[in-house]
Amino acid sequence: MILTIKKSDEEILESLKGESAVFIIACAGCAVKSHTADKQAVETISKLLSDNNIKVLGIEILGAVCNTQKAQETLSKNINFQKAKTILFLSCGTGVQAVGSFSDKRLIAVLNSAAIAAVEPSYSKFCSVCGDCILSYTQGICPKTRCPKSLVNGPCGGFVNGKCEIDPAKDCVWVLIYEKLKQNNALDKFLNRFIEPR
Amino acid sequence: MNFKEKLKSNKFLITAELFPPKGTDISSFLMRAESLRDLDAVNVTDNQRASMRTGSLAMCKILLEKGFEPILQITVRDRNRIALQSELLSASVLGIENVLIISGDHPSAGEYPSAKPVYDLDVLQLIKAARTLETGIDLAGKKLKGSPKFCIGAAVNPAATPNDLQVLMLKKKILAGAEFFQTQTIFDAAQYKTFFDKIKNPNVKILAGITLIKSPKFMQFLQKLPGVNIPIKIQERINSASDPLSEGIKICSELISDLKTFSDGVHIMAIGMEEHIPNILSLQ
Repeated sequence: MILTIKKSDEEILESLKGESAVFIIACAGCAVKSHTADKQAVETISKLLSDNNIKVLGIEILGAVCNTQKAQETLSKNINFQKAKTILFLSCGTGVQAVGSFSDKRLIAVLNSAAIAAVEPSYSKFCSVCGDCILSYTQGICPKTRCPKSLVNGPCGGFVNGKCEIDPAKDCVWVLIYEKLKQNNALDKFLNRFIEPR
Repeated sequence: MNFKEKLKSNKFLITAELFPPKGTDISSFLMRAESLRDLDAVNVTDNQRASMRTGSLAMCKILLEKGFEPILQITVRDRNRIALQSELLSASVLGIENVLIISGDHPSAGEYPSAKPVYDLDVLQLIKAARTLETGIDLAGKKLKGSPKFCIGAAVNPAATPNDLQVLMLKKKILAGAEFFQTQTIFDAAQYKTFFDKIKNPNVKILAGITLIKSPKFMQFLQKLPGVNIPIKIQERINSASDPLSEGIKICSELISDLKTFSDGVHIMAIGMEEHIPNILSLQ
């Protein structure tokens, strides 16, 4: 899923300067799983708005804002959305742009889209949506995403006791791949496989 | 005999590295270079520790004009595949044949932590790209008008653990086309021998990296670097010495003597203290 993180109140208010009323769209897809569009998140943003004298004209919780057709169908029936000039998004950047593709209203992003991540027990950035998957050759672990140097043919010399030199709290992703290669008797394959620049 | 030819000989090779100036005053660089006159080649670092300096290529050209044999260090950190291939061709046009291809310290370790880390190619891919350029075509498959010739080196870290993964990467870099290696800094010859026995290869030369410890404070700095392991005995010698620098010189010299019994050569990283290298070597 797409991991989203709420922007600072200062940045949100800065982008709302001069606005007196907004309509809120919250995404029940990824953003809910990030806890950035769940009930509590909607309450938090509503309070920030009322504390700053900005009226909430209405709230629509969409199953997934990125489903453009469904979003358009639902929102076209919502009178408050139709009335609003400014729309506040508790969704990823794709959701904002999906609505923007059929609406001329002012669009305000409340969240930063941080990563494609796995959730529970913790958020882990596993994929950078590069459009050219090499997981079949790297034991199902993506070094493009998880190695700070995005090295695809093997590690640098910076791993110590299996940890990454950039962040000693993190495992070197190439050491994780290496352990799996060893388990699966695939070290020879790794030695002789060269991933071309793509 | 040039460096490439020396790699084929049985000579115990000695190289050292210089870092370019931060700014346009090259006088100190040239002074430090003079201490390296008798060495087999001199590396020039490429914005080392991810900090901005004058370019390696410019300083290599100056060294070449002054009669040195330079080794151009190129990291894959700051340039995409267009700029990297162009840099290699530029080196060749300027008469620089030796290149050391490394990944480079990540920007987060340097002066510009928010600089975009490029890593468009990795080390293996750039080694192969250099070999491709030699055949008269570039990575896009376009024909070159005149093709370069390189002597390609790479790095290996004897202290990285799990160690066998570094051994594997060294082999992979040889398959990609590396002809020589310079290692990260080592202080323990016996420990290095264990590693060297695993990696030695008749087709490539592996030069053990050594660093001059100039003071107890500098030793503390070194110990904070990932994978640097300074034996207690050496630590005690530096800490109790009345003249830590001359003790450091002695330690370097002894290390080289030990390495001469089995290693292909040494690569001295004196980090600004190059003036002491002739002294280190004269104690042999």
